[in-house]
Amino acid sequence: MQRKIAIVGYAQTHHEADPPNTREGMVFEVAKGALDKAGITREAIDTVINVSSDYQDGRTISNLFLVMAEGAYLKDESKVEMDGAFGVLYAMMRILSGTHDTAMVVGVTQGSIFSPHQISFYTLDPTFDRQIGLLNDVAAAAIQARMYKNKYDVSDEQIAMVSVKNLVNATSNPYAHRRIPKPTVKKVLNSKLYCDPIRELNISPISDGACALILASEEKAKEITDAPVWVKGVGNCQDSYLRDRNLLKLESLETAAKKAYKMAGVKDPPTELDVAEVTERFSHEELMIYEALGLCREGKGKILIETGVTERKGQTPVNPSGGALGADPVLATGLVRIVEAAKQIRGEAGKYQIQGVRQALAHGQTGLCAQSNIVFILGGER
Amino acid sequence: MEKREVIKVTGLPIVAGFRWSVGKMMEKFIKSFADKKIIAAKCPKCGYTYVPPRSRCGKCYTKIEEKNLVELSGKGTLTGYTTAYVELDGKGIFLDLDNPKVIGAIKLDDSDSTIFMPLGEIDQKNVKEGIKVKVVWKEETKGEIADILYFKPAR
Repeated sequence: MQRKIAIVGYAQTHHEADPPNTREGMVFEVAKGALDKAGITREAIDTVINVSSDYQDGRTISNLFLVMAEGAYLKDESKVEMDGAFGVLYAMMRILSGTHDTAMVVGVTQGSIFSPHQISFYTLDPTFDRQIGLLNDVAAAAIQARMYKNKYDVSDEQIAMVSVKNLVNATSNPYAHRRIPKPTVKKVLNSKLYCDPIRELNISPISDGACALILASEEKAKEITDAPVWVKGVGNCQDSYLRDRNLLKLESLETAAKKAYKMAGVKDPPTELDVAEVTERFSHEELMIYEALGLCREGKGKILIETGVTERKGQTPVNPSGGALGADPVLATGLVRIVEAAKQIRGEAGKYQIQGVRQALAHGQTGLCAQSNIVFILGGER
Repeated sequence: MEKREVIKVTGLPIVAGFRWSVGKMMEKFIKSFADKKIIAAKCPKCGYTYVPPRSRCGKCYTKIEEKNLVELSGKGTLTGYTTAYVELDGKGIFLDLDNPKVIGAIKLDDSDSTIFMPLGEIDQKNVKEGIKVKVVWKEETKGEIADILYFKPAR
């Protein structure tokens, strides 16, 4: 990269189902929170990237009414309508262009306004798949999960173990939404069946939440904080529409990860990554994510979950915060992953802190069966 | 969670009428259902065959033209499936289905795309990846998407 870029401040809401809060209130809370965390005021922010969705918010130009809440009044502001991690990529580009030194990214979704599952239906080809009317994110994921199970001989129990790991992790994250006392494989397998083999506890919850982070150029970052978290690598990739894709692997994630690893100089992900925060909207997806990230070979994700490699105490902890299964404020979710990875590097993850994190991965995704993926590699001292 | 009052406001829900052009190939695809035919678009460069037809091949970045349309047999292979026990009600709520629906991922013979269609005339326990399936048409077809009823096992 032309310039070094660091994360210097961040904040997230306590993600919940339908809390008595507005979009404006949530955005103000996290934007102000991120500024306070960085110890700066809004005057120090050169550009603001809003991440929100017209469909999700039920209004056109969804950022329009949020400008003041995000501290962007009479400032340089624009919007990304994909996962928040893509907003971070956009903010980085603005800093890399040399015209800005600081940028704030603010993502918000209130799933309680309108169901993200219904919106997933609107992502389908309107002239064919929507007319047939059968598919949605859950049904598509169920077809994928079934194919993956059959191809690699993966059991429902092994897939349920992902939910258990992340839901247990979520219980010690004060920001997580889904809090289930003592999650077990049995509880997952007894939860409501949506589309075979996917059950309620295999699906991320519908959350309301927001997240903000502040990026700065190297010079500015060193002025602002003694503990900058550096963006060492980033890669993103887009796959084709559902009909023309191999659903058995997350090919675009594999490509995105390879790009990010190359930029960051990561040669052996399992030994070089100290922790990963990934966006798993369905529990089988996390096993596929392990494979795409190169944490194991194709079809071997089940071994990582069975042997505890991705548990908090394992070699490569994945989603110590509880991941998307713990809270999924849709467009803010990728931003939350980046913030959680940054917290691990700064030693600020409290009860779910992994010891000695120097390098962390964060992942965001958009689309049915993770069509579009983005990967960040973050690091500490440099 | 405390149940809060919902106050109805004017101007909602929004009703928007969208007037999409489906393009010539898609039009032909849908209209050919009247003759109980399924057509696909075969890329003249790489041979990848799209169903429903698409006018640009994203795999090799080539324009596909009407002369590249090919007719498929209506038979194919089941590559994946799920039994749906719930269905979206259009407002975002998953409603329980009295009769679960089997959704098949089908690769039609001589095509490369996967289409997602209902399966019928099959016992749930016989639904398996790899079985051969074929299209079942309405008795009287009109050249609309509803002309395809479902896919059933092919002997």
